[in-house]
Amino acid sequence: MKIAKYPFAVLSAALFTVLLMTPVSSLTKLIWLASVDMPVGIISSLEVILFDFQRMGIGLYLLVIIGFTIAFSAAGLISRFSPLGGKYLYAIAGGTAIFMTLFLIVELVFQSELIAGNKTIIGKILHFGAGFFGGYFFYSLISSERNYTFIIRFLGIFYAYFLLGLVLQWIFNPISASADFGFVFNELASDAQNALLRDFTSFFVATFIFSILGAITLNPAWFFSAGIVYFGAGIFNLIAIYAHGTGFNQIFISEFILGAWPTALALTIIMKEQKISN
Amino acid sequence: MKIKFLLLVLLFSNSAYSNYKLETVLDDLDDAWSLVFLSEDKILFTEMSGKLKVASLSDKSVNEINSVPLVQYSGQGGLSDVALDPDFESNNMIYLTYSAKDQNKKTTLFLLSAELNGNALENSKVIFQAKAPRRSPMHLGAKIAFLSDDTILLTSGDGFDHREKAQSLDNHFGKIIRINKDGSIPKDNPFINVEDALPEIYSYGHRNMQGLVVTKSGKIYEHEHGPKGGDEINLIQPSLNYGWPAITYGIDYSGAVISPFTEKDGMEQPLLHWTPSIAPSDILYYENDFYPELKNSFLVTALVSKDVKKVTFEDGIDVQESLFSEVNDRLRNIQASPNGILYLLTDGPNGKLIKILPKEL
Repeated sequence: MKIAKYPFAVLSAALFTVLLMTPVSSLTKLIWLASVDMPVGIISSLEVILFDFQRMGIGLYLLVIIGFTIAFSAAGLISRFSPLGGKYLYAIAGGTAIFMTLFLIVELVFQSELIAGNKTIIGKILHFGAGFFGGYFFYSLISSERNYTFIIRFLGIFYAYFLLGLVLQWIFNPISASADFGFVFNELASDAQNALLRDFTSFFVATFIFSILGAITLNPAWFFSAGIVYFGAGIFNLIAIYAHGTGFNQIFISEFILGAWPTALALTIIMKEQKISN
Repeated sequence: MKIKFLLLVLLFSNSAYSNYKLETVLDDLDDAWSLVFLSEDKILFTEMSGKLKVASLSDKSVNEINSVPLVQYSGQGGLSDVALDPDFESNNMIYLTYSAKDQNKKTTLFLLSAELNGNALENSKVIFQAKAPRRSPMHLGAKIAFLSDDTILLTSGDGFDHREKAQSLDNHFGKIIRINKDGSIPKDNPFINVEDALPEIYSYGHRNMQGLVVTKSGKIYEHEHGPKGGDEINLIQPSLNYGWPAITYGIDYSGAVISPFTEKDGMEQPLLHWTPSIAPSDILYYENDFYPELKNSFLVTALVSKDVKKVTFEDGIDVQESLFSEVNDRLRNIQASPNGILYLLTDGPNGKLIKILPKEL
């Protein structure tokens, strides 16, 4: 666990930082939209903030992981020779990592500012602040003993983060979401439209909540519930193809992966608990 | 339902695949961007590196035109559009768009008029410099078209980093510009008497418009690249706001939402939008008789879908057909010769000029 603690602390701190970074862009856009008299309200704001966290966040997440890995390694080395406390070093390293990452992707790659919230000085300061708190969070994760539940929680949350995109799509853009599953929404009868939106939305929302609850409570039943739903989807997908002659849909591969992931977490919890009780 | 499905399949299949033969007329073109016909045999075309060339299609000879202005060739910038004056036969005037640095070392869009004399440009004059300075040459627009009153329309893109400025009238980001051939401002421009508005602006709220066409009936159509999704064709009318980036059907390249809104009173809806993006690069409204099946259709070249979209509108609903996808290359430009024969320009280095002929010829 000692070795695994560090990479999972980086992964967790990066996710936490992305959670702080993406609203900077979201709020920048919402403020501008309101300034040109667009009807910005609670629902549209939530839509922007949540979608940005999920969609933009996934791309940012990889960059932040790379930035943090370099910065925290350097901070770890410096902390051995520096009188400055580790938490301040890691916090400064986190802030610097984000600042440099966003600077370099503009200067070296795109030559343009892809992150809307980073166009202004205030945005740059807020992003630095997000990295600063991310570094502080990293320090708090590595500065005490961690057991396997730390990893289970991270993987459970990350699973939910992954599902969040589907959840948001079904809640905010159901017609587009249904098109991704092969439905031409406007050609369905109104009852069928209702059934489609109701059932698909509850399917993804439920599994999202199961995984969050599993990560919070570490009760394997929640993870199993999510696993059963996706394994079921995969199995009945194959039955639909081979027993009922529907078109081949390779989404069953994703369904089995989405079923296996929480199931593995649930089994790990059970095995670890048995080990401890023995 | 089945019939609709079959119709859709027919619509999006390459039904015209076998109706045309494609002949490469010129090759080894280097980032060619635009072309015009000087005659049925002679074309003038631009290469983004800053070269303007004249080519004979029959003997395939290519000659470079001298005295072309220095351009900033990087990113999406360089020598872009070329257009002939409506009175070219009598005055030999041509117009060029290009990106270059301004007095403050920022990139912006320039429109130059010059007299084409033999293989050289003479009496060159910058008749418009966009008040749209940017750090890098992105989203310049740069398409030229003439209205029937001999005024020039010019697209000026949003500069990518400056998209919000497409909604303000104090700059040229995300605008269609209208000026006279000498660079002066037409007295009937829509914002000429509006305080704090730049008088050259004809319409606003655009993104990166790389297609602009004026039909014989005088209607103006433009298409613009959306971000991820939300490519649009718009019917342009003076003073109107086309919404970018306050309303859009696309999302940002980062995956972020640009705007949760797709419509608002006072902002125009596109005639159609492509989501996912096809990356439209040029538009032609085909009004000749050479290909009767294409007459009165929009032909839109695409960089991503690598085909030409034939678009017609029936009762406001677009009907689309994919053509020439057998070229299997990013398509940059489409032009009809004086006799109505279509030519396609492919994008990038080692580009080609391809002549389209009916198969039975």
